Amino acid sequence: MRAPATDDLERSVARLLTVGTYASIALLAVGVAAMVATGRSPLDHGPGFDPTRLGADIAALRPEGFLWLGLLFVVATPSGRVATSLRGYLRRGDRPMAVVAILILCVIALSVAAAIGTQA
Amino acid sequence: MGIGLLMLAGGVAAGLFGSLLGLGGGILIVPLLTIGFGLPLREAVGVSLVCVIVTSGAAAGVYLERRVANLRLGMTLELFTAIGALVGGLVAFLLSERILAALFSFMLVYVAVSMARGRAAEPDDDGSEAAEPTAQPFGLVLDGPGYGVRNLGRGVVGSLGAGVVSALLGIGGGLIKVPVMHLLMGVPLRVATATSNLMIGVTASASAIIYLLRGGIDPFVAGPTAIGVFLGASLGSRTAHRIDLRVLRLLFVAVLAWTAFEMIRRAIGMAT
Repeated sequence: MRAPATDDLERSVARLLTVGTYASIALLAVGVAAMVATGRSPLDHGPGFDPTRLGADIAALRPEGFLWLGLLFVVATPSGRVATSLRGYLRRGDRPMAVVAILILCVIALSVAAAIGTQA
Repeated sequence: MGIGLLMLAGGVAAGLFGSLLGLGGGILIVPLLTIGFGLPLREAVGVSLVCVIVTSGAAAGVYLERRVANLRLGMTLELFTAIGALVGGLVAFLLSERILAALFSFMLVYVAVSMARGRAAEPDDDGSEAAEPTAQPFGLVLDGPGYGVRNLGRGVVGSLGAGVVSALLGIGGGLIKVPVMHLLMGVPLRVATATSNLMIGVTASASAIIYLLRGGIDPFVAGPTAIGVFLGASLGSRTAHRIDLRVLRLLFVAVLAWTAFEMIRRAIGMAT
């Protein structure tokens, strides 16, 4: 009787995708509003991503802080969906799908490593 | 802030058109940002990847709630789209803008010709065969209600290709994934479309991470564009059933043809 467990997993994943997407959009909207308030144009070229400045930028209500946090939410939501699926498959003892989920997370981790390793 | 509003409005238009015609916004965002706002192509691709993740996220949630998307099949294939996207994301920084423009124009011509010929099947067209449960390697169970999944090997190859194309051109990759799942793997078109949408997030994020960490995404451009595309796609999904898509399709073909022409000019160095 797998159907109820499948329903629960798909519902959890769906909820995470919806919440993650709306949270991302909300953060980006705050960032865009801060751009408007500070008279910044999209063609001004925003600062590059610097995780060490993120907290200070948000505390100072600088647009780039909210925009970068929103973009991080955008990029992290799919990984969160895979992690949620992994937890569900492990609970059900579905080892093949758990392995697939782990491998996907490994590929994403490899992307991060490759991007850092090849930075100019 | 006039430019910001224009960018947001352009994003709304790209999301709306893409959603109405079932293509996603990615195919229009890159031309919008390069031809419309003069952004470098690679930067436009990075922003487009962010936009396709946002638009696919909300839609994929709905598809899962309605049990249209096949989560197990989607995750199995997205392992390979993600590998393709990782490779494509790294290769994108090795290619010149002119080569990327040439690749993009090929893709636009292909889509325009496909739409002009009206080859795309309607969503209710179910080309799958009701099948016996299909044995897959490693004990994977991928079948859905009323259909079996076959030719997993071809699906893997197609997914790798879709991932590379997505990362190079900033699109969701449904142009490849949907035909592969539907025609080669026997998945009903509606399920293939929904499952492809589900896969976009992981696929695009695998390469968007590379663009983001290597300075290929400008937050001041990505913010207004992503919000615009999200709003446009939401509006499109609510109004699609009230609009005669035949005229819109012809208009879209004309827009794609003109965009392809502009991209070809960039590829051969006649425009910057």
